[in-house]
Amino acid sequence: MCWPIVLVGKDSMTEDFYLIAMTALLPLTAGLLVSQINPYHALVIRGILGAISALIYALFGAADVALTEALVGTMLSITLYAVAVRSSMSMRLGVLEETPDADGSSIGIKKRRELAPLLANLNPVLTKYHMRVELLTYPDQAALTNALMEKEIHGTHGLSESLQIRIQRLHDIIQAELPTLGSTYIDVDRVKQQDKTV
Amino acid sequence: MNGLLIAMILALLIPIYEAYQDEDIWQTMLAFASIATKTAMMILAISVVRDDWMIGMVGVLILSLGNASLMLLAHILRRMNLEEGRSYD
Repeated sequence: MCWPIVLVGKDSMTEDFYLIAMTALLPLTAGLLVSQINPYHALVIRGILGAISALIYALFGAADVALTEALVGTMLSITLYAVAVRSSMSMRLGVLEETPDADGSSIGIKKRRELAPLLANLNPVLTKYHMRVELLTYPDQAALTNALMEKEIHGTHGLSESLQIRIQRLHDIIQAELPTLGSTYIDVDRVKQQDKTV
Repeated sequence: MNGLLIAMILALLIPIYEAYQDEDIWQTMLAFASIATKTAMMILAISVVRDDWMIGMVGVLILSLGNASLMLLAHILRRMNLEEGRSYD
């Protein structure tokens, strides 16, 4: 069923006009989508693209396709992608769990106070690359080193003077943006092999 | 009715421009909400013009579920912002 062809005369002209006007919105939003740098903005604009394409499918009489686009293309895929982006665009930093205070003051507040300067430095830099810091606490140094070697975390804080990073790209970013913070690159695979040969 | 549809297409350009130029994610979400609702209303208008109940029903579903997806996405983004806020202090 194709409406613009079925209709004849003046009505067909107007219908053609708004059909073309609506279809022109599709490449417009698609161009907008590919020009986005921030992944979250791109996701929201993918939602806009989905809404407009659902409109065009409905316009052409394909109600089932429009419904599928709205349900799967817009609702499901965007939600899943948002979860995926949120969990993948993060730097997992392992920190040591410090001993509780003698007066029994809250551990969380104390730890946050100690890590505040580091996070204040690290957060703006990582935000620039659309990433965030995720802190994981470990009870002692052995557990922290083990987590780094088992690739549970991307870097450690508290093992040495500087940050230890096992991802080359993250190390390069921190080295370039925060030379004062100091970060050392650790090739986990090579360290493991050396341990084996020794 | 056709004039109304053309006016709605023009009105659709405003939130698209807003989504393009804004840095704040919530402004983009607002633009998304605006576009999702507008397109659903346009589908409903088209269904009335064509007297096609099938498209009308799809319009109603998109109107309600599109906004549900918006809420899901907003919730995920809000949780992410909360986590970031917590690590800043």
